[in-house]
Amino acid sequence: MKDLIRIRDLTVRFYTYEGVVYAIDDLDLDIRQGETLGIVGETGSGKSMTALAILRLIPYPGKIESGSIVFCDKDSGGELELLKLREDRMRAIRGNKISMVFQEPGAALNPVYTIGDQISEVLLLHRRHELAYRAKQRVDNLLSDGSGFASAAKRPFRQWQSRLYHKIGEEPHALEPRILNRIPLFRRLLWRLKDEAASLTVDMLKGVEISDAARVAIHYPHELSGGMKQRAVIAMALACSPELLIADEPTTSLDVTIQAQMLELFRRIKVDRGASVLFITHNLGVASEVCDRVAVMYAGRLCEVGSVEEMFLHPSHPYTRALLDAVPMPGKELQTIPGALADALNPPPGCRFHPRCPSATPICQQERPKLKTVAKDHMVACYLF
Amino acid sequence: MSDWKFMARQLVKNPLSLAGLVIIAIFIIIAIFAPLIAPTPEGHRSPYMIPRDGYSATPQPPSEEHIFGTTQGQYDIFYGVIWGTRSAFRVALVVMSITVLIGIVLGSLAGYFGGVIDEVIMRVTDIFLAFPALILAMAIVSAIGPSLKSVMIALTVVWWPSYARLIRGDILQVREEDYVEAARGLGASSARVIVRHVLPNAIYPSLIMASLDIGAVVLSAAALSFLGLGAPEGYCDWGQMTEFARNWMVGPPGDPFKYWYAVITPGVFILFFVLGWNLLGDAFRDIFDPRLARR
Amino acid sequence: MEFRAYIIRRLLLLIPVLFGVTLFIFGITMFFSPGQRATLYVSSPQQMRDLPGIIEQYGLDRPFFVQYATWIGQVFRGNLGWSTVVSMPVAKAILHYLPATLELALVATPLIILIGIFFGTKAAAQKDKPVDHATRVMAILGWSLPTFWLGLLLMMVFYGYFRGFLPPGRLSVQMEVVVNSVDFIRYTRINTLDAILNLNGPVLLDALRHLILPVITISTVNVAFIMRLMRSSMLESLGKGYILTARAKGLDERIVVNKHARRNALIPVITVSGYLFAALAGGAVITETIFSFKGMGWWASQSALRLDIPSVLGFALFMAVLFVLVNLVVDILYTRVDPRVRLGGGVQ
Repeated sequence: MKDLIRIRDLTVRFYTYEGVVYAIDDLDLDIRQGETLGIVGETGSGKSMTALAILRLIPYPGKIESGSIVFCDKDSGGELELLKLREDRMRAIRGNKISMVFQEPGAALNPVYTIGDQISEVLLLHRRHELAYRAKQRVDNLLSDGSGFASAAKRPFRQWQSRLYHKIGEEPHALEPRILNRIPLFRRLLWRLKDEAASLTVDMLKGVEISDAARVAIHYPHELSGGMKQRAVIAMALACSPELLIADEPTTSLDVTIQAQMLELFRRIKVDRGASVLFITHNLGVASEVCDRVAVMYAGRLCEVGSVEEMFLHPSHPYTRALLDAVPMPGKELQTIPGALADALNPPPGCRFHPRCPSATPICQQERPKLKTVAKDHMVACYLF
Repeated sequence: MSDWKFMARQLVKNPLSLAGLVIIAIFIIIAIFAPLIAPTPEGHRSPYMIPRDGYSATPQPPSEEHIFGTTQGQYDIFYGVIWGTRSAFRVALVVMSITVLIGIVLGSLAGYFGGVIDEVIMRVTDIFLAFPALILAMAIVSAIGPSLKSVMIALTVVWWPSYARLIRGDILQVREEDYVEAARGLGASSARVIVRHVLPNAIYPSLIMASLDIGAVVLSAAALSFLGLGAPEGYCDWGQMTEFARNWMVGPPGDPFKYWYAVITPGVFILFFVLGWNLLGDAFRDIFDPRLARR
Repeated sequence: MEFRAYIIRRLLLLIPVLFGVTLFIFGITMFFSPGQRATLYVSSPQQMRDLPGIIEQYGLDRPFFVQYATWIGQVFRGNLGWSTVVSMPVAKAILHYLPATLELALVATPLIILIGIFFGTKAAAQKDKPVDHATRVMAILGWSLPTFWLGLLLMMVFYGYFRGFLPPGRLSVQMEVVVNSVDFIRYTRINTLDAILNLNGPVLLDALRHLILPVITISTVNVAFIMRLMRSSMLESLGKGYILTARAKGLDERIVVNKHARRNALIPVITVSGYLFAALAGGAVITETIFSFKGMGWWASQSALRLDIPSVLGFALFMAVLFVLVNLVVDILYTRVDPRVRLGGGVQ
């Protein structure tokens, strides 16, 4: 399988009042085309930050210090170094080729705009030319079919519209239509764009298994349930057929029954669209259901990465094994991982996990272990191997 | 402890609040050392009445004898503004402390006991708050008879409702906290609970608001004096001095700014005094705003 | 809840409010002599000379609630008493002085709101950068200025130095004559509006000229509120999750700020704007006094100074009604801007 995203030596630091935090520390990770890669870890492991780093949305006071994230664009065939991209070109990628779904759908949606508006927004932004062509088709049909007085009266306006839409189709951000859009009266000429976007939006909502899509689209976020909202957010992320969908704990805030439906949805996305999914979660069970490969992170570093079968059948890194052991099972005594999370400001030297590791050796506190291949498609960063 | 240190550091780091601190410090020094900076002449009745050098109505420009010049009636401007600082502090502190006191008492009663007491007190504050503050103050001062003391009373009457509301709100929040319930569970009387547990925790935002409102109090007092309702003629009060200058605002044609010193000087003092407190206040608000997470 | 029904319900709320306010102030007037209180019932200059007769007629020595009832009856008949300050019935005084203040409020409020929103947004979007600091200094400076001092200064410069370029008062003498002449119809008594309605250019210019200084004075002092509120509201809005989503969609930062953040941030600003208008409509006492812009503020302050009870009571009534109306408008606006709020009150 070809690579879609190649992350190398990524380091992200947060300059807080209390000190410097290494949110991501020299990370190497690949996301392959068409696969669902899961990143598993506790809070502070850096999993969410990885997602934000790909989109270059690390919030202040964070900063991407070094490293490279290469994006292999399927359409253009070229390779883009995301961290060096100009901001406007990065914006063309966000929501378009790479999009993201967040944990809290309620917080992710703007309460003052309808669901439909928010999804249409991304279509109008990235698929403007497509919408324009479709609009032009409709107008042209009206122009050729129309008979009678009403049609004749509207003719000049429709011709104007046809011309405008043609222009937008050629050049999505052409000047003339943009100016017209600013002037209240003339803005009406471009209403078909919004109309097309709205109908596409309804299609998208149907695609995420929302039954009454047309009605849902005109509702506001607070009028929908959590599951619906999350579906809508997913629809928004999928609207422009991205090559990579990043999902940051998408099921965590939903109840279990909805969770199951959501996971089914993600599985379908993979099958139907051939997009890659970066699935971030702290729940191993969820990861096993949906992912092809799983990466385990701790304290900003990658501990282990491999195919789902390998990870669950032959977990190698002590942290991975501890995580698996900690899953509650009826009849079994509840296992916890001893010790506390690594202090973000003063992390332990060497391997970050060594204070809590049952198999720690002296070298573990001195030098950071490198990633080694231990089986087909299975790498671990631990001195045990 | 580190919270206080953090706060202090923020205050000093921010150039605006630092400027505010410096300004206030300067005013405090002026107020304390007023007798040294502008000594009261021998045999003068009261240090708070501005000494006069003659009785001519026309203001005189700054000279060696009168550093800032004299205003209508030959009152020395320099003396007036220096001692006016003391006046300003006095009015501000008196009004603020009584207001906060009343606010605490009534706010606590309303917030802690709720029910009818709360309703009654809230309606009363509503009525006060609906009325434009300045006009209410004017009415009160007129009814009592104009003087600086009436101004202080009027301002207190106008200001206490906001504080009662504020403290009530804070108390409503604190009331639900666990340690209050614990104290009650241990059998503490209401009074004890209020004084020892609820108040100390609820009071901070109000205290901060109070220190910031000092600027607003002085502005209002000056406004009332300007309208002739405050300090009597010749008193060391910035507002009163500006009122004097009103007649001399526009000089003879050809030299319209002739009497600038009479108009500008007292106003500048008011401006900087209030500015200092407001700068500090703005910084405080930023620091204590829980929504602006600390970095 | 049906719109009309809601409005009617809100207007009905006026009654208990007015009851409370008038009861309170009427109670205070009880501390004054019957002679002074008699002026509450007078409606013409002749009656003023026959105060003992009035006392007799309206039973000003009867118990409190009887008097209150009598007075309320009077009010419903439109008689709010006689204003000694301006020698006309109180009801007429309100109608006479309201236009000036409305003119000021209607011009100043949008100006304040627009400037406040603009700079507040900019300051929040560029937090801690020069724009932010500059905005905050401007705001604090404006708020620290004594209104009367600013007014005096402006007069000094623009009236004194620039030889009457921007004079005090509402209209110059010549225009006063025009406005009061038969050819000029005073529809609203708001000079700028009337000038437009009468298609009279010179009067319009003159009125505007006289408005500039008072509006600048009021705006400078009050814009700080809106600026600061908008700034903190925007900062809160910008920290919300939907902003990250908007950025993740690839939207230009300007659109993120202006479309997504600002709409949410405006919500609290609306309430404050309402109160701002109410405060200004209640009359900016000092500004009106300094610039001889005789409006409600001027009238109310003169009444307060001379303890003209009918006027003060009439003014209190006016303010109470104004408050309820403003609250109503603000609540309606709320539902327009924030879809989570429903007209019956209460959030979904």
